[in-house]
Amino acid sequence: MTTVRVNDIDLHVQELTPTGVADPPTVVLLHGLATDSMASWYFTMAYPLVELGYRVLLLDLRGHGRSQRPALGYALDDFVDDLDALLAGREKVTIMGNSFGGTVAFAYAARHPEKVAGIVSVESSPPTPVWFARLTSRLSDLANAVARPRALVAVGARRGARGAQRAQDAARLLAETSLREELPASRLPARARLEAITCPVLCLYGDRSHVVEMAPETQRLLPQAALRVFAGQKHSLLIDQPEDVRAAITTWLRGGSHA
Amino acid sequence: MIPVDTPSVTAEVNRILQAVLGDFGADMPISPDSTFRDDLGMESIDVVALAGRLQARYGAGVNLAQFVASLDVDSVRELRVGQLVDHIVLSMNRADGRP
Repeated sequence: MTTVRVNDIDLHVQELTPTGVADPPTVVLLHGLATDSMASWYFTMAYPLVELGYRVLLLDLRGHGRSQRPALGYALDDFVDDLDALLAGREKVTIMGNSFGGTVAFAYAARHPEKVAGIVSVESSPPTPVWFARLTSRLSDLANAVARPRALVAVGARRGARGAQRAQDAARLLAETSLREELPASRLPARARLEAITCPVLCLYGDRSHVVEMAPETQRLLPQAALRVFAGQKHSLLIDQPEDVRAAITTWLRGGSHA
Repeated sequence: MIPVDTPSVTAEVNRILQAVLGDFGADMPISPDSTFRDDLGMESIDVVALAGRLQARYGAGVNLAQFVASLDVDSVRELRVGQLVDHIVLSMNRADGRP
């Protein structure tokens, strides 16, 4: 297991490198909140991107997967600081983010527009007040769901001991850290900073997910964004339809609008 | 030189699996027919950790991300320990054959 120490915590990272490609461009893959980890990207897009000639950097966000879980430090800026430290000294990168990971990608680009070659957002939104209000409400739904002891028993019956352990782990993340308080109170980038993101952007949505309602606002902020909506798909688009997501991203990367 | 015959790789994969599973793996029977998900109860992040350890042990020639990308979603869910061992043996022998 590879860990990198940044901002006084150990982050779990994996890097996959294409063979025979001199100086390959880098894609960073960021996962979603609470129940997610780098695995959802690792098993869907990581190798296809390597095959396209990209160096792929996967990260477990602080508090998630096999990264360290400090008790404090879960505002949006903390997640962006980690990415900032991890990418210090690297060339421009393309960032792909699933759900909250996409939000971190947009926030990083708002801070360093010159360091981002492109953004792929899967079921996500830039960090706007409306989006954070939704994240806040999702976090309390999740906290309520996992707070019921019977919920964990049900997960255990469905997904086995380790599955129940993961659900319990998400419950612990919410119970034992300040994430539920700090994330909703995050300082958000000024609207002008988001509008100043000029790199190519691809946004993917499922039409059965509420996140698609964020698409018009995203398009107003980032008129260059290409949008794709997948019929019949939910918020778990990436893991439910990896082949469709793969095809959409590959087409976009090859499209040429992307550096 | 790391031995890459099936029995040696099986023993090594079992050892790495126990390490990844931690307390959960202590008395877990692992056989070539064990599925990662249902039999060993591994979550996907555990499999990523396994992939990282395998790569550290066997080098870039053993690429689990590549291996799973070649399978459809159902096959990944039903992936068995024996299939992984076969993949490693095949990858390593192919790597050895290179000039």
